[in-house]
Amino acid sequence: MTNQLALLAAVFVFPGGLFALLFGLALKGADRRVAARLQGRVGPPLAQPFFDLVKLGFKRTMVPATSAGQTLFLGAPLVGVVAMLVAAALVPIAGVYAPQPILGNLLVLLYLLMVPGVVLMVAGSASGSPYGSIGFSREMALMLAYEGPLVLVVAAVALRTGWGMGGTVTFSLSEIVEYQRTHGAFLLDPVMWPAVAAFVFFYPANLGIVPFDIPEAETEVLEGPLLEYSGPALGLFKVMSALKAVVVLGLGLALFFPVAPNGIFGLVFWLVEMLVLMILGVTVVRVSVGRMRIDQAFAFFLKWPLLFAAASLAVVAVVG
Amino acid sequence: MNIIADLKKVATKSPWLYRINAGSCNGCDVELATTACIPRYDVERLGCQYCGSPRHADIVLITGPLTARVKDAVLRLWEEIPDPKVTVAVGVCPISGGIFRESYAVHAPIDRYLPVDVNVPGCPPRPQAIIEGVAKAIELWREKL
Amino acid sequence: MNFLSLLFRNLKNGPSTEAFPFGPARTPARFRGRIAFDAPSCEGCKLCERVCPANAIKFTKSADGLAFDCWHDTCVFCGNCEFYCPTKSIRQTTDWHLAHTQAEKYTMVEHGLIPNMKCVECGATALDTAPNVAKVKPAMAAEEVAELRARCPKCRAKFLKARRAKP
Repeated sequence: MTNQLALLAAVFVFPGGLFALLFGLALKGADRRVAARLQGRVGPPLAQPFFDLVKLGFKRTMVPATSAGQTLFLGAPLVGVVAMLVAAALVPIAGVYAPQPILGNLLVLLYLLMVPGVVLMVAGSASGSPYGSIGFSREMALMLAYEGPLVLVVAAVALRTGWGMGGTVTFSLSEIVEYQRTHGAFLLDPVMWPAVAAFVFFYPANLGIVPFDIPEAETEVLEGPLLEYSGPALGLFKVMSALKAVVVLGLGLALFFPVAPNGIFGLVFWLVEMLVLMILGVTVVRVSVGRMRIDQAFAFFLKWPLLFAAASLAVVAVVG
Repeated sequence: MNIIADLKKVATKSPWLYRINAGSCNGCDVELATTACIPRYDVERLGCQYCGSPRHADIVLITGPLTARVKDAVLRLWEEIPDPKVTVAVGVCPISGGIFRESYAVHAPIDRYLPVDVNVPGCPPRPQAIIEGVAKAIELWREKL
Repeated sequence: MNFLSLLFRNLKNGPSTEAFPFGPARTPARFRGRIAFDAPSCEGCKLCERVCPANAIKFTKSADGLAFDCWHDTCVFCGNCEFYCPTKSIRQTTDWHLAHTQAEKYTMVEHGLIPNMKCVECGATALDTAPNVAKVKPAMAAEEVAELRARCPKCRAKFLKARRAKP
């Protein structure tokens, strides 16, 4: 019984649910603020994403006449939010939180990470808008491009951990974190550097920011899949993307740099790490480059990240 | 009840802008782009954000004298914006027709077809005047919410 | 890596955003803003009404005199009226605080009235317009201008003719 309660708490309060949502919104706010500063502007207040969310709660939800039914149209964002809630509970925080094995492992997390993309595709095609359809096809192409390198990177990490621990492969996130805490972080391990490099490219693509915000490019396809959403339904998408930011950044930290003191300092350290990662990996990239075309992005992911990811798997396999 | 009032107060800090070009000469649109994109004016300080979709909008900025050609499209687009919304007419064209007044190709003033809430005259208005108009619109929006 | 140095410079120098709307905004000295009309110095030639491209300026005759109206909601702030005004009684201020709610739409008007008066010489009703004395030679003194002003157009012509005839 207590176990179930703990599971529920992990999904809805900490580290998933409320905590992840608030932290994700704060990360987004910091991102917008820092981006504004880098562009020489003052920028919105830190709590701006929170204001946006509250505002969206007061707006009217409209279902377009061309949509593929209210259930699918309004259900899609809900599925995305639920998937991200569970995913947030799956991401370990070094020294603070280790997910219970019953929730799932790295493979489950990989599948859950695909859900927002699929949800966007469903949302785009269910809206019945031509812009949504364009967003759908772009999201699909982008997913096909970046999921490959991601799987290879994850396989490399799992292989290295598994062999290091004397077994075969391990997909348990807590074991990966524990292994690195005793044997040193993978970020400092030259064997894993290609994997890190491949993972760095994965960030902006999965978080949907410039240069890979092609499916939602608001200047081209008017926010694509989100075009027809309004009010609370759009708010759910904002919640989903805030949670996704926490999950993806947290996954990066868990895979490559789970080094932190135990207890409350560990949590603070983790929060700071996430913030730095958000600003360096997302904000600076976002303000300094332009958007790619979908064919360029596709070709790009099948070139460098795939090369790095394949190299990392090969190196890990050879070094053993 | 009190919590809802507080939340509404918070909500007005996030007015999303949407612009409709009702056959404008692009002068006002350039000023709108300036207001949003140039660090000197930075409308994002007020929590404003230009959105690509009419469904996301709270404050509608209309430029142009509502030419006969775009009239139906503009009215349809305006209908697509979820309530509560505030309409701001930017430039003299939507307000009265300005220099195109009484032309056979122009249906200005726009308030014959849409309930306009705030007017920002100018040809084009300067960015600060637009920000002033948006600030007025936010106040009206707070009452509507 | 040019953009990185740009980003760094932006961070170092801080935002270049103006304080407006939370503080004052910089206004250029020659900004073409709200129209200001000075009725006492107007000579009533209606040239501004003629050159106004947007028909924002309108003169209407009434029992009280000649009313001047400039509606800012159709004015395009081109400055033609100021340029052509022979007595510089119409000019553009640097005031750009023109945003208003819909209720105030038809009050965004610069209003002026050139009142009627009785001619001191013949007693006919005439407009109290300012006489254009810039080209009169020899130059007129202020008292003479006031004397001229108190007359109707016909009597003004007579007055000037008599003045020219004087040695």
